[in-house]
Amino acid sequence: MADGARLRLGLAAALWLATSPSLAAERVVSLNLCTDQLLVLLADPRQIVSVSFLAADPDLSYVADRIDGIPLNHGALEEILPLDPDLVLAGAFAARPAVRLLQSQDIPVIDLPLANDFAAITEQTRVVAAAIGQEERGEELVAEMAAILADAPAVDPGRTALAYQANGFTAGSDTLTDAVLTAAGYRNAAAEAGLVGYGFLPLEHLVAQPPDVLIAPETLPGRPSLAEALLVHPALTALGDRVDRLQIPSALLACGGPFTAQAVAALVAVEP
Amino acid sequence: MTGRAEVSYVWLLAGLTGLVMAAFALSLSVGPAPVGLGTLLSAGDGRLGETATIIFFEIRLPRALLGLAIGASLGLAGAALQGLLRNPLAEPGIIGISGCAALGAVAVFYSGLAVTTPLALPLGGLAGALVAVLLLYGLAGRDTGVTTLILAGIALSALAGALTALALSLSPNPFALTEIVFWLLGSLADRSMAHVALALPFILAGCALLFAAARGLDGLSLGEETARSLGIGIGRLGLLVVLGTALAVGASVAVSGAIGFVGLVVPHLVRPLVGHRPARLLLPSALGGGALLLFADSLVRLIGSGQELKLGVVTALLGAPFFLALILSYRRRVQ
Repeated sequence: MADGARLRLGLAAALWLATSPSLAAERVVSLNLCTDQLLVLLADPRQIVSVSFLAADPDLSYVADRIDGIPLNHGALEEILPLDPDLVLAGAFAARPAVRLLQSQDIPVIDLPLANDFAAITEQTRVVAAAIGQEERGEELVAEMAAILADAPAVDPGRTALAYQANGFTAGSDTLTDAVLTAAGYRNAAAEAGLVGYGFLPLEHLVAQPPDVLIAPETLPGRPSLAEALLVHPALTALGDRVDRLQIPSALLACGGPFTAQAVAALVAVEP
Repeated sequence: MTGRAEVSYVWLLAGLTGLVMAAFALSLSVGPAPVGLGTLLSAGDGRLGETATIIFFEIRLPRALLGLAIGASLGLAGAALQGLLRNPLAEPGIIGISGCAALGAVAVFYSGLAVTTPLALPLGGLAGALVAVLLLYGLAGRDTGVTTLILAGIALSALAGALTALALSLSPNPFALTEIVFWLLGSLADRSMAHVALALPFILAGCALLFAAARGLDGLSLGEETARSLGIGIGRLGLLVVLGTALAVGASVAVSGAIGFVGLVVPHLVRPLVGHRPARLLLPSALGGGALLLFADSLVRLIGSGQELKLGVVTALLGAPFFLALILSYRRRVQ
């Protein structure tokens, strides 16, 4: 509820900004990985003053290869004030003290909650687009995303998928991953197992009720960890052909954004 | 008199073997999936489902085998070290052997070496354990009193723990540092047959060396002079126990992390039942250690959900109060 209210508030602020074109933000700072990506996708490069340091991490950020030359921040007020922003984008969990102080300095802040489904992604894309006067670009991205989603089949009750990460970490209902699986026509095996939000699923549970599609990395990185070693456990390999194993770049699922639709496309492409 | 003692010793071994079998069966039957020993037995004529087969042979069986082998290693190594060092508080975890073995395994695993050369994992644990036993034997050696050894062990444990944390911090892998919990407390969760194959040969070799030290330990319990007069080579005896401990504990820790207190609790529980001859303590300690670890490992799977409790938490909850009680009774005897 609180998220919804905050989003409506953000939307109202954005509409107010949008209806007075001269007030479209020209110096935008983003403090959060998710708003970083929306900003880079939507804004004219000259509008971007700074994004968070996480935006440069290719494992987390879809736009990691596009932030060369953009100053990075760590959400500290001392970094942000000298940049003299006329708009700050923040996420629901990001830099709370900095956000409160910015508001007390009368610097406009758009505070976006986590997007857990495609409706929220559409709404947030429009909010940011309006705030920076890039409505046209925003509608393009929304339309591209809608086209991918429209091509996906309806949910087949007989097909399940599971996103399985290091340590057995997985996403149940009310998560972005759940929205992606459902949009691609799958039932989320973790949600079926009763998991709400994010949590852990024992290996035995996965083997006892194997999904049709398993989204998990198949190889250990050069500097491994026990957490990731779980993903190459012989019990998973022994499932063999009964499970289609698929890798989806983690950046597509780390934040909800127009690019998240590409994860849906990757799942749709799996032959049953 | 001897005859009666022999009979009761046989009964003790039979009882402990029964306990081990019960614990092994329990370990095979406990887990999130509804598969147990019953499923296997009732399936009969090879018609066990494919899923149940994977759960049973790839997840439950390696876990139970490792629980038995590692528990037996720790119990046996505890009993042998207490005999060699003539120190009732000698235990692989308390005196820092497990910690050093974990450090060796951590260095090998997180550098990526164990991915390309799997055998490096037990060898890393073994090397760490060997360095620790040699240091302790050289530093606190024989007949230096209880406290010297324990203090040397505390220093060694602290050093190994710090270096383990340092090695994990240096890993670029974001999960590495959180896994210090595994190495310091130990766990058998999600181990596989690959781990059994890596650790078991070293564990068996180590246990064989420790059992071979039995007669020497008996002689040593009468004093070094008497032992020498009985023709027991103290140097050779030391070498047997040092190498045996390094092999058994090093390989165990490399696949399970450092599980504490098993080697302390079990020999002390068994000792009143077998008298004070170290040789008679070895086999019951190994059996008791196996049973204890299998029960503890079944318990961690029964309590809690999500990420399961680390095995070392349970053994420490049992073992630490026991350790305190032991120190109190020891002080009372000295006064």
